[in-house]
Amino acid sequence: MWKTFCIVFLLARGWLSADTDHWAFEPIEEPESRPISIDTLVGEKLVEKGLEWSPEADRRTLIRRLYLAMLGIPPSVEEIEAFVAYEAPNEIAWSRVVDRVLADPRYGERWALHWLDTIRWAETVGFETNAPRPNAWHYRDWVIESFNRDQPYDQFIFEQLAGDTCEADAALGFLVAGPANLPGQIGRDELAMRSARQDELDEVIRTVSQTFLGLTVGCARCHDHKFDPISAKDYYAMQAVFAGLRYGDRRRRGPENDAWTGRVPYMTATVRKLAAELEALRIRHGLKTPLGNVETVSFEPLLAQTVRMRINATTNGSAASLYEFEVWQGKGADAMNVALASRGAKATASSFALENQTRHPDCLNDGSVDERQAFAWRAGANGPAWVRIDLVEPAMLERVVWQRGYSQPADYVIEVQSPGTTTWNELAHTRDHFPTRSDTRAAASITLGDLTKSDIAEIVRLNGELRRAQAELARLQAGPQTYAASFTDKPDTTWLLHRGDPMQRREVVAPSVPVALGSLGAIDEGPEVRRRIRLARHLAEPNHPLTARVLVNRVWQYHFGTGFVDTPSDFGKMGSLPTHPSLLDWLASDFMNHGWSIKHLHRRILHSRTFLQSSRPDALALKVDADTRFLWRFPPRRVAAEVIRDSMLAASGKLNRRAHGVGFDFFRQQGGLSDYQAHETFESDGWRRMVYARKIRMQAVDVFGAFDCPDAGQMTPRRTRSITPVQSLGLMNSPFALRQAGFFAKRIVAEVGGDPEAQVSRAIEIALNRQAEVEERRTLAALARDHGLDQVCRVLFNTSEFIHLP
Amino acid sequence: MISRAGIDLLMNRRHFLSRSAGGLGGIALASLMAEESSLEIDSTDPYRPRPSHHEAKAKNVVVVFCSGALSHVDTFDYKPKLIRHHGRPLPGQENLVSFQGPNGNLVQPLWKFRPRGQCGKMISDLVPQIGEMADDLCFLHALTNKSNTHGPAENVMNTGFAFDGFPSMGAWVNYALGSTNADLPAFVAIEDPRGMPQSGPNNWANGFLPAAFQGTPFSTTKPIRYLPRPSHIHSRTDSEAREALSALNERHAERFPGDEALAARIASYELSARMQLSVPQVADVSRESAAMRRLYGADSSNETKAAFAENCMLARRLVENGVRFVQLFNGAYASGGNLNWDGHSQLKSQYDRHGDILDQPVAGLLQDLKQRGLLETTLVVFATEFGRMPMFQAGTYGRDHNPHGFTCWLAGAGVKAPFSYGATDEFGYAAIEKVTTAHDFHATILHLLGLDHEALTVYHNGIERRLTDVHGQVIQEVLA
Repeated sequence: MWKTFCIVFLLARGWLSADTDHWAFEPIEEPESRPISIDTLVGEKLVEKGLEWSPEADRRTLIRRLYLAMLGIPPSVEEIEAFVAYEAPNEIAWSRVVDRVLADPRYGERWALHWLDTIRWAETVGFETNAPRPNAWHYRDWVIESFNRDQPYDQFIFEQLAGDTCEADAALGFLVAGPANLPGQIGRDELAMRSARQDELDEVIRTVSQTFLGLTVGCARCHDHKFDPISAKDYYAMQAVFAGLRYGDRRRRGPENDAWTGRVPYMTATVRKLAAELEALRIRHGLKTPLGNVETVSFEPLLAQTVRMRINATTNGSAASLYEFEVWQGKGADAMNVALASRGAKATASSFALENQTRHPDCLNDGSVDERQAFAWRAGANGPAWVRIDLVEPAMLERVVWQRGYSQPADYVIEVQSPGTTTWNELAHTRDHFPTRSDTRAAASITLGDLTKSDIAEIVRLNGELRRAQAELARLQAGPQTYAASFTDKPDTTWLLHRGDPMQRREVVAPSVPVALGSLGAIDEGPEVRRRIRLARHLAEPNHPLTARVLVNRVWQYHFGTGFVDTPSDFGKMGSLPTHPSLLDWLASDFMNHGWSIKHLHRRILHSRTFLQSSRPDALALKVDADTRFLWRFPPRRVAAEVIRDSMLAASGKLNRRAHGVGFDFFRQQGGLSDYQAHETFESDGWRRMVYARKIRMQAVDVFGAFDCPDAGQMTPRRTRSITPVQSLGLMNSPFALRQAGFFAKRIVAEVGGDPEAQVSRAIEIALNRQAEVEERRTLAALARDHGLDQVCRVLFNTSEFIHLP
Repeated sequence: MISRAGIDLLMNRRHFLSRSAGGLGGIALASLMAEESSLEIDSTDPYRPRPSHHEAKAKNVVVVFCSGALSHVDTFDYKPKLIRHHGRPLPGQENLVSFQGPNGNLVQPLWKFRPRGQCGKMISDLVPQIGEMADDLCFLHALTNKSNTHGPAENVMNTGFAFDGFPSMGAWVNYALGSTNADLPAFVAIEDPRGMPQSGPNNWANGFLPAAFQGTPFSTTKPIRYLPRPSHIHSRTDSEAREALSALNERHAERFPGDEALAARIASYELSARMQLSVPQVADVSRESAAMRRLYGADSSNETKAAFAENCMLARRLVENGVRFVQLFNGAYASGGNLNWDGHSQLKSQYDRHGDILDQPVAGLLQDLKQRGLLETTLVVFATEFGRMPMFQAGTYGRDHNPHGFTCWLAGAGVKAPFSYGATDEFGYAAIEKVTTAHDFHATILHLLGLDHEALTVYHNGIERRLTDVHGQVIQEVLA
């Protein structure tokens, strides 16, 4: 509030203005001619602040730090011993272990999480239904792989914006990472539908602008940005870039897709052959064509006041349902549906379903089959049902039309009652209609003309085969699916919306980036994809002031806990100023000059004196710089939730290294409404790394959610690190923790036998990556003797040191 | 920024500003911004009581939240004209399409309204016992919601935003004020025995505030997860393990002198051990007398009602023990109106069931708080996500969602009662007088807690966020 006030005040005084006069919009500073490095620039700041470097940390600390930061898992005892014992100068030994770690596939698994946090990726839609997105996991794997093969960052951006041009379909999961309402959850009125579309696109704009640009363009949805040079028009210009975007599944091209496509001709032939066989049977038995979704029954004109349809069976056995039932008199221009309620007719039915939405018989003659505006009648139960229309007066009827509802009638009779009589006369029946493809009734329950039971059984069998073949063909033709953005060739027109109100459209806006950052050229004509390609190219321009800075700052933050700019997704005027502006710029241009290689950036950081410092505190330095922003030491901190869980599994020996693929479940359901029940124990699949857990939006994961593991409700470019009693309860008492402590103990016994002192020494080496001190060995060995080794392992999982990046 | 340090900063700067507003240009803006962007609460003791902005009328809050959207026209918002126009279209809205589709004609309240209390406030027979407390209630009849969908609308009422991921009101309050009982969570969310509300934990989420400030969900039927010592671990074993742990943690902390997070972690283990004793004690409603159980309806043969009544008793026990913010849910998730107040198709029969579960326990809670004198320092908030249409939906026996006007009420600390504020039109369709947003509602609740809703902010992703977004005004008229 103070800051807002202050800035508004300064704005008012004219000392600050929402123009481009802001460091982050300035071009990246050219590297100076003198030789510079991370350490020269950090060192200069230290001198300026009267601070001094800390000594270099010991090898044990360094390898634990390296593994936890880069792989999210501690080193094994053997890896530590090898590094400690390696007789070579520190630089060489370190270089070797850094190379190994950067080539380790566990690196991508750890660093993908940072990216997924930033864009609040999840495998459910969020909002009202939180329905699953079962094909979303390909994106997670694509991110892991991108990090592992050090995909250049400019290409990483490109594929996430325009992966459809280079068969990187899964990468487009980026754009639809956020929450979105499902169509059924949107109100039926125009305002609600337009608002929902605006919300959908808003999520995309927030994702793109905060992630790549470090700008909160979303603020300009309703008004010009208060502090940054982003107008409402800029907002809608960015929206126009994505105006063709649709949420949903799309084809995932690649080897699997090619294999499926290869089988299409064979399956097409199978379908044709089966269809021909069935048609031949139909003709042979002299049966009529199968029923459609809408059927018209015409007959010789007759005088009647009451018409009914008795539905004996539906194709799939579910409750009978019709959208509309029409009764017509007259011909041509004089034809009239006399069944309409507006003409006084009354609809009744044997029963109707009482549901959230009405399935009342009134739906039969309301004159509407628009699924967004009207409902269908549905019987209250499965089995035979009837509907009946009573006209206001007798009429000369010529035809009856029915339209299916939520089910398809398979066996029915339509009857009329002549005025003054009580007998029903049959107008139409289904006994001579060949079964529809969707008909799944058992042969025994079907009567067809004068066909024998075996004739019918043959039709039913072939029908089933055809259905399966068609489903398989459809699956092959659609190809493997992934949850990712799709695009229409004809993007919607984008308007500037007054105050963000979807009902108040102003001028049409062409696709672009915020004016302060340049332009994308004239791209509103031509193919839709050009808009996104241009945006991707714009972001990767070497003189772009934000893209590289934002990424470099993020990487720095994951190494040191805080970035140069501690508002990693806000480089605008409301964000912080960088602590080391020259270093940020130098790293940004060095990053671009080295092919946007993130691993190159890691090497620069990991080989710096800054990274290699001890993390021990210094009372004087703490007074000057309590938050260690100027890096007079390596800033120690608690590791992330996922690292804690993975480290427990690594210690217990139960970690399942299976990478990629469908995730394991923390909950008993994979999406849907509330009331998620957590799994408390897991078997092998649930002992995979936590990055492979199915990500449910807005559901904190049991035990580990309390360690600030984001739930993908909001973008989390930087996690909070809280300390709560709920965390300690989970680590002390949860079945997961206790069971893993038990496995850990068994592993120790298997490795070193029954001597408590030896057990404790080994357990500390594995869990804390150091040798036991005399006093703690004594304490823990006593605990092991009196209460079992399980308790020692339980205690170790709960130590601050176990979850500490030293 | 309300950490201890943050408050100091805030106070100093305000003071400074008042003296030298003209000289601000001389301040290095850089240092101001950098300092204020850090969101570090005092990590050694995140729940330490923090001063309010002004004198608080309410120390504690109980929010009774009716999930599913309680019909105002059938409970608290009496509209004689709706009765007279029963069966006729809503004038001017004959073809209204709302959330689920077309609407039918106006339908009079399904329960009879009668004058209640000394004040004679007209309240229906659906909630007669709450009605009898009318003299203690302050009705807000002109609430509105910007969403007409349960989940987002619940978010609006409990977090101020329709989208997920924003801090809940309880989290803001917890963040701002901390706790007065070091042995209990400061913010408790009590789930309905029938299940979670529609937007689930988002109703008590910390959003972008530190996780320490989220609500701790538990109820009489659902204890805090992993609170008790596992049954197969002997108490001596457990205490010796904890001792060994604390020895190791203290030794580790010695190696990092001055690292507050390590000290805080040791403290959190101590708190969790205290909670193992204090929470079961406070949650044990079986200690309540038979008379108390009768008062709340905990003796009911209707199991759901008895369970909800016990939750109400739990709410009182929590407040009594200094828990700052209690959310008490009545009604679960969307279920065709079977488990909550979403009466689209069979409103009468469903509400008869739900009304019985709600009425006596909430009235009992009010009476009990009052007789113990707790109502003087406790604010009771009765809320729902939106109201319902004065019409039935076309072809149904229920009412569609109505975010244009609905009723909530306040009772207790600092609230004017009996009082009614704002009004819907003569049919109860839309708020027309003193239209009230969730932001006004929140601003008022914060005000009663001694908090200025415009000053309670946190920087997140480029914006100084507030519970009240950039809106909201304290409703002065409802303050005692």
